[in-house]
Amino acid sequence: MVNGYFDIFRSATFPVIGKWGCLVCICLFISNAILAQSDTTKKLKEVAVKATPVPKVQLPIPTQQVTNKDFARYSAFNIADAVKSFSGVTVKDYGGIGGLKTVSVRGMGANHTTVLYDGVQINDAQTGQVDLSKLNLNNIQQITLYNGQPIDILQPARSYTSASVLSIQTIKPDLAANKPYQLLFGLKGGSFGLINPYLQWQQRLSSNWQVIVNAYTENANGRYKFHNNVNGPDTVRTRTNADITAQQVDGALYWAKNDSSKFNMHVNYYHSQRGLPGAVIQDNPVPSQDRLWNRDFFIQGGYRRIWKNGLSFLINTELTENHLRYLNPNFLNVQGRLDQQFTQREFYQSAALSWQVNANWQVSYATDVVVNHLDIDFNYPYPQFTYPTRMSLFNVLASNFNIGRLKLQGSLLNTNITETVKTGRGAPARNNFSPTIMTALQPFKNSNFNIRAFYKRIFRNPTFDDLYYGGIGNPNLKPEYTNQYDAGLTYTKALNGFFEYLTFTADAYYNDVTNKIVFIPKDAYNGSIQNFGKVDMEGLDAGVKTQATIAANYKASLFINYSYLQALNVTDATSSVYLNQLPYTPKNTLSVNAGVNHGAFGIYYNQVYASERYYTNNNLPADRIPGYSVSDASIVYHKAFRNRALQTSMEVNNLFNKSYFIVQSYPMPGRSVRLSIQITI
Amino acid sequence: MRSFKLKNLIILSVAIAALSACTKDRIDVTPDKPTAERAGVYILNQGNYGANNSTLSFYNYTTKQLTSDFYGNANPGKKIGDTGNDVGIYGSKMYIIVNNSSNIKVVDVKTGVLIKEIALNQCRNVVFYKSNAFVTSYDNKVAVIDTASLTITKNITVGRNPEQMVISNSKLYVANAGGLSSGNPDKTVSVVDLTSFTETKKINVIEDPVSMTADTYGNVYVLSLGNFNDIAPGLTIIDNKTDLVKSKPAVALGYNIPIVALGDFVYYPTADNKIAVYNAKTQKPERNNFVTDGTIFASAFALAADELTGEIFVTDAKDFNSNGTLTAFDRNGKKEYTIATGISPGRVILVNK
Repeated sequence: MVNGYFDIFRSATFPVIGKWGCLVCICLFISNAILAQSDTTKKLKEVAVKATPVPKVQLPIPTQQVTNKDFARYSAFNIADAVKSFSGVTVKDYGGIGGLKTVSVRGMGANHTTVLYDGVQINDAQTGQVDLSKLNLNNIQQITLYNGQPIDILQPARSYTSASVLSIQTIKPDLAANKPYQLLFGLKGGSFGLINPYLQWQQRLSSNWQVIVNAYTENANGRYKFHNNVNGPDTVRTRTNADITAQQVDGALYWAKNDSSKFNMHVNYYHSQRGLPGAVIQDNPVPSQDRLWNRDFFIQGGYRRIWKNGLSFLINTELTENHLRYLNPNFLNVQGRLDQQFTQREFYQSAALSWQVNANWQVSYATDVVVNHLDIDFNYPYPQFTYPTRMSLFNVLASNFNIGRLKLQGSLLNTNITETVKTGRGAPARNNFSPTIMTALQPFKNSNFNIRAFYKRIFRNPTFDDLYYGGIGNPNLKPEYTNQYDAGLTYTKALNGFFEYLTFTADAYYNDVTNKIVFIPKDAYNGSIQNFGKVDMEGLDAGVKTQATIAANYKASLFINYSYLQALNVTDATSSVYLNQLPYTPKNTLSVNAGVNHGAFGIYYNQVYASERYYTNNNLPADRIPGYSVSDASIVYHKAFRNRALQTSMEVNNLFNKSYFIVQSYPMPGRSVRLSIQITI
Repeated sequence: MRSFKLKNLIILSVAIAALSACTKDRIDVTPDKPTAERAGVYILNQGNYGANNSTLSFYNYTTKQLTSDFYGNANPGKKIGDTGNDVGIYGSKMYIIVNNSSNIKVVDVKTGVLIKEIALNQCRNVVFYKSNAFVTSYDNKVAVIDTASLTITKNITVGRNPEQMVISNSKLYVANAGGLSSGNPDKTVSVVDLTSFTETKKINVIEDPVSMTADTYGNVYVLSLGNFNDIAPGLTIIDNKTDLVKSKPAVALGYNIPIVALGDFVYYPTADNKIAVYNAKTQKPERNNFVTDGTIFASAFALAADELTGEIFVTDAKDFNSNGTLTAFDRNGKKEYTIATGISPGRVILVNK
């Protein structure tokens, strides 16, 4: 209670996974591209004339991808929606258009997923989690989830640091001299009082220079009805203080001399204000009037050079400032309100060099330096705060080696962290080596059948909140270690019959976590963060994709993903929760995505099923949240109209108006509808 | 007319109280008189903050059966709410103080059937005195509830974010924690006159006082959390005759700080989750650990004592996100039995047959 902003997240946390552990990404409401973007016309033509390419299955690690033309397929309004149907991904959704949405991969929690934006990590040193809502789907070309690390070894060193990587690629302008500009206007609106106009401007400045600017504004009252039966008969109530207003401007400048020398620069500004409706508390609570403001700015630049002798060079630089203000205007302290402001600044510099020694052997070296600082400004005295500055050095040596049909990749990451504090006690310096080995084998020459496996050790340093949050933070915390083991198989076949192709992937994995950083709440008074937990995870991710021509000009596609995850608490053999499934971790999840395209029309259906979960460490009936199965559907129409691409769509989330919970006390909205129209000039 | 009568009643009550105070200082912490036989023990589990999963467990001494959700069983389809913080018994009624639901549930003490709900913003703890229930609210007040009409008849302004109370020498002592003002807690105990229902004095104690108990030697014990910075948790002892601070003995407290007095001894958990014993008579530490059979706790969270049997009850909240336990010890610190509780078992109360 005393902790204000921290507690909002804490109540939302998987306690075993860690304080911020599973609050992965806080996804607000971004507008998104339901429809294809700048390259609409081009893509449409391609689809019309070309046979569908067989989706490429990546080796040697599990990789899943969604591109902008598929966002409508998933009725996605934000990044969490776009990836929720991936295997192994668990979305924690607090409900509504302003509600937090978090994504965890293979039960590991948000702090274990690195988010890359055009190759540069979006970092939050305070919480260890990235607020994906700050990134609009409008300007996104594709989103890729890698278990382990990206396959290309010419990467910044930070790409090697976590259990999984969510890589977001923005749209790059690709304009010809005869039409040096492209403008796109769009408007989305619907349930929750949503009004979201957006625009995109692309301009070819010269044969070397191109620029792209994206901007949107979004307003929604966020209200929705929900069923409440926690104390007595079922009543319908309305979720209030759930509004959001957000604006974002993103500009990027690209320069390319030819394919061997490329430069880009990004500037991004995001601002939002939203209400936090909080948990639905029974009886007589004071309704929440909590507010949250975000104001983020980053500028990043990258340069890539490929020489003819096999050497490649990549540098990236970034400066970031994230400002967050949390206000509780009804707080019973001396001031009568809680007003907390946090400012994080980051400086980032990365350099990577790779050398293609011969056709089968590539080596690379990358070094990154990151400086993070956290500043606070509260409306009450807060003498405990340390004002920490962290300097992190990441060095990684990596190599790819192919012997016939066997692919090998290895990397060794060194992490070196030093911390300084203005007052109080700083965390000790840390130095760690963590290796990764990945391999893939194609056993039969004429069959596109592959076996793959990887091992990766992960070193996760505590966040600023873990270490320093007053009364709770613990500078003695040790880093958390995870061993990830994965073995799988992939099969791809192009078919000539009714079905056009079939791809199948299946991976079994085992993760063990030690020194798990766990927030232990101790009622309203206090809590503490400790190295407490041990977790064993065993899981299976499987996916099938196929496409068929069901009638002339009718193409049907079907994607199915299934995940099994047993994530067991093995902290203390004498405890009553020993061998219990972790909270908020469904054992079975299934997603089915089906769609039919016919000319200008596309109709899609997406279903996500998650089995029951527990919201505490107990696995008792009283601690159970029932499983849910929720459907989304969309209809898309796109037409070239006097040389302009027009797209309209209608998307329905929770088609069958199911009443369900993902997070205890946070009811999910019933059926909601979104209409959009977009024109490209 | 009504208030006039009430006033007379109060004066009469106070006169009786004063008289009894002259002869005997002892006021029981639990209102059960040590005459009847126990029916069993209730455990109020806080549950998780924001999860509406506070529960009341009941352990029946006769049948040796444990009912995990006694309230839910007695009131089908209903739940206690979010963060049940305190429970008290007065006559045939039990008062469940549900903090984050800002709600007091008055139930039949035997059956658990709901009699009435009373709204009180951020209510925390309850004590009883002569037909009145006194309930602290984080709104800097103590609400006075008439136990016959079950309505709030008066609000007494005290210090900031008051927590526990104790009645000693016919006075109400209120721990003004001010715990919601991080870095700037309150550090007083209000003395409330039970005739006029007004605060007569504020006594300075260690920062952030939260829990209290009183012994039979005229001492009021106040446990404070400190300020989470340079002031450590500590104990302040107040003389109930002079209302002056008598001493601040050095004790090794953690942040789970229930305290209970029984006879000559006062029990509280230490930073290393042992149950320390303080001698009320000699005013000196008695023992570092009351437990003599090696039983250990991960998070000793609540303490209760049975003056009939001399038993001491200790709950263990474990990791605060899974079910805890209640362990009963005999007067020699030897374990009698352990039963499972709900999440964060914060209060234990004995109920007579």
